Amino acid sequence: MAETKNLLASEHPRGSLLHAVLSFFVPGLGQFVSGARSRGFTLLITVLTLFGISMWTVAQRARFPEYAMATSVYFRIVLACAALLLFLLAIRHLLTRFVLKDPLAETFTMYGLVLVYFALLVFVGDDILATAVSAEQLSQIHAGTALYSAAALAALWLWQIGDAARIGNTKSLGTNRDGTTRFPSMAAAIVLACLLVFALGYNLTGVDMPKAIREYEDVGILLPRILWPWRAAFAYDQEVLEVVQKIQAPCTDEAAAPPPNPELDDDPWISATPTCGELSSRPVTGGLILGTELTITGGNFVPGQEVLVRWANPIGNPFTPRGMGETTIIIDENGEFETKLNIPDAVISPETATGAQVHSLIIRQESVLVFGGRLSNEMQLALVGLLETIMIGLMATFFGIVAAFPLSFLAAKNLMAPIMSAPERIAGNVLGLLAGGWAGLKVTDFVSAQLGGLEQAPVQIFLVGVLAVLGLGYLGLQLGGRVSEALLSRLGKGNGYWVASVLLAVMAGFPGYQLGLGFSRGIRSIVLGAEVAAINEEVYGMIGAVLVALVTMFYLYRRSSTRRVPIGLMLYAVIRTILNVVRSVEALIYAIIAAIWVGLGPFAGTLALTLHTIASLAKLYSEAIESIDPGPLEALDAVGANRLQSIVYAVVPQILPPVISFTVYRWDINVRMSTLLGFVGGGGIGFILIQWIRLYQYEAVGIAVWLIAITVAALDFVSSEIRERFV
Amino acid sequence: MLTVEHLTMIYPDGTVALRDVSFEVKDGEFLGVIGLSGSGKSTLLRCINRLLEPTEGRIIWNGKDITHLPQGELRTVRREIGMVFQQFNLVKRSSVLTNVLSGRLGYTPPSWALANRFSRQDRKMALNALERVGIPEKALNRADELSGGQQQRVGIARALMQEPKMILADEPVASLDPVLAHSILGYLEKLNSEDNITVLCSLHYLDLVQRYCERVIGLRDGKIVFEGTKDDIAKMSDERFREIYGEDAIRMGGL
Repeated sequence: MAETKNLLASEHPRGSLLHAVLSFFVPGLGQFVSGARSRGFTLLITVLTLFGISMWTVAQRARFPEYAMATSVYFRIVLACAALLLFLLAIRHLLTRFVLKDPLAETFTMYGLVLVYFALLVFVGDDILATAVSAEQLSQIHAGTALYSAAALAALWLWQIGDAARIGNTKSLGTNRDGTTRFPSMAAAIVLACLLVFALGYNLTGVDMPKAIREYEDVGILLPRILWPWRAAFAYDQEVLEVVQKIQAPCTDEAAAPPPNPELDDDPWISATPTCGELSSRPVTGGLILGTELTITGGNFVPGQEVLVRWANPIGNPFTPRGMGETTIIIDENGEFETKLNIPDAVISPETATGAQVHSLIIRQESVLVFGGRLSNEMQLALVGLLETIMIGLMATFFGIVAAFPLSFLAAKNLMAPIMSAPERIAGNVLGLLAGGWAGLKVTDFVSAQLGGLEQAPVQIFLVGVLAVLGLGYLGLQLGGRVSEALLSRLGKGNGYWVASVLLAVMAGFPGYQLGLGFSRGIRSIVLGAEVAAINEEVYGMIGAVLVALVTMFYLYRRSSTRRVPIGLMLYAVIRTILNVVRSVEALIYAIIAAIWVGLGPFAGTLALTLHTIASLAKLYSEAIESIDPGPLEALDAVGANRLQSIVYAVVPQILPPVISFTVYRWDINVRMSTLLGFVGGGGIGFILIQWIRLYQYEAVGIAVWLIAITVAALDFVSSEIRERFV
Repeated sequence: MLTVEHLTMIYPDGTVALRDVSFEVKDGEFLGVIGLSGSGKSTLLRCINRLLEPTEGRIIWNGKDITHLPQGELRTVRREIGMVFQQFNLVKRSSVLTNVLSGRLGYTPPSWALANRFSRQDRKMALNALERVGIPEKALNRADELSGGQQQRVGIARALMQEPKMILADEPVASLDPVLAHSILGYLEKLNSEDNITVLCSLHYLDLVQRYCERVIGLRDGKIVFEGTKDDIAKMSDERFREIYGEDAIRMGGL
């Protein structure tokens, strides 16, 4: 009976007016009141946020927007849109009530209505805007964006009113399998919200289709040079014949004038008559007075090819003397030519322009470019840069693997979660680790002094340093744990636990002190200024120390029933957090820092990329470890294998395929990344590419882009081949 | 000899898997553990070699309380107790030989693992173990190339490498067909009679229990509800049967 009633109700749902009214004034309130708390809250936040960002976007037309005006204008536009939509809804209601009495038609008219609504906005949008606000106010906002976002917002607002009415009448709602009420889908609201965000995005990103079409030609010149730059990849040979005849201006004395060149038998020659004369001049009153006309003859040039007539003033700046006669002449079949040229107005600086000056008449013949079969400078630079780039990627991957592999075991939950330890042990572990690490540093210092300092033997000292710190640290960790456990167990089980707890709390106080200092220097100094905050920062340090110590103590008190602390999980959480933070900063940012640290060049790029690679690979590896079959691990535990043995025989064989796959993939990414790192000073091909871009050397840019593309594609192929083989 | 006293196991989520379980296994015995899925059979076996830490109670192995043994000493106890699993728990990508050799890890110095190294004797021993379970020719195959029955034999060979005094078999034949089940249990029986290895085996089917076990304990909801010889099972009344397997259970084939 009840179900039939439900069915009937859902066929003709009668909404609740009260809830609709509530939601009319406060979006989501109706839903909230009828028990759909999260739905109501979501709707309220959504509507408010969307209204806020729309208004903010719409107001950005002015440099200093008036938000109050924009808010009121935008609100009026929303109301106008809502009115239009309501009008359409009313028409639809009448239609479905009296004309189309089909429930299917009811659904379809709803889609049609939304389409008509947005179509109408395109055509009568200006009228709607005009009725809502004054033209002057409109000119101060992004009217188009306002209209379309307001339309979506109005629709969302009306939708949620209708939704409140439907939900208010709980009898019409179905129930889920687990007995909770099933609410209608929110798909429509999500679509409307997306539409609104799209309208805003269209504005904020400055989408301008007409401009894109109108100004396409600008790249037309550029694109061919980038797309097919290969002519610039090779060097070309060219023979240049250049012959000079000295000309004096003005004439002083026939005898002092430079002699005409003699006719030569084998080499190209030119000769001019006379060899002195007046310069052309451009008087301030306007016009041009031509200078003395020279007759130029020459011979022994390459027949059939052109020569250029050029002029060089007394300080040696050559130019083409236009308007004074032919400047390009084709050589006849005998290799000779004859032409006439007026002495041009060779402008020279006033100080040197006194007296007679010797100018040069130059005849220049450039032979056709001949393919030299050698790579051009640009191509050579690009190839060297590319090699450097690939090596940066390779080195970063290599260092990344070395550091990430051991780290990943510490960041794998399934391996770390079972590690529980007693505080008695942990206290000794921490002290031992610190002591061991310190001893390791001392050993390194000693070795460094023996070898004559870091500059003398950097590799040896680095190796000794890493081995000493890690080795002695580990030794200290183990030894400290055992010693403290043995010592504290003499106090009796309970006492030992509490002594260890107090010890740990005190130890935790040290980082707590730093935390307090950090709070003072970071947060307090924002308000008070660094100087004032520094006065009593120790107080805050102490407060931090005490707080952290108390929290540690309280935690250990809570764990006192089991006497064990999930130290594995804690380590896991800390390492995972660090990895995530390191990974979330782009390698590009690290490269900027590294370029300052070690200077521009490939080492900076390698350093930056290594850091990022360690974090990403450790995360990927640890996820591979987390997804292994736990069975073999359990079996090896049962056999009596220790942790190292379990890892070597149960974990490593299982993670090998994904680890190889991830590594190759990361190498692929690294090479691609390192092309970009050069842009910020990380060396490699990117370093020269950005320079060529800035110098508008588009052919060289094209060469670099092509080489990068070829490398990446080849790498893509190789890496996918390798990965396929291992998975 | 294994003595279990008042063993209680409560999982961190509050599930009580074992309630006050006490029993004794004599050296050289073949003890069956029966019960429904979720009755605590696996938990019980895993508590004995401390793959799971029991909440209360004691486990005494050859006169030594191993309930709170620290990790280092636990290793020497675990290597005396072999374990065979329902899902075989082999490293699928490793060779059969490596899988068998890994049974020896309790005896080899841990640092050798870094060099992935086993002694000549261990290798010989592994080949012998494979011969005993009848698949010496598979030594160099990858474990996942073997059929289910063969994989379980590798599991037994791995347990053999421990030179165990006792084998815990956690539903060793549940993933195998009946013919293979008999073959696998046959190997366990052989080890039990020839090498005098104590076997603690959880099983589903009563016909298998009757065929292989000398003594049986039945678990229901973590409590021991039945303890007797295999003859007791044949004579068991329907009420007793229902006590173990629940109200809806039906006996088949007169068992």
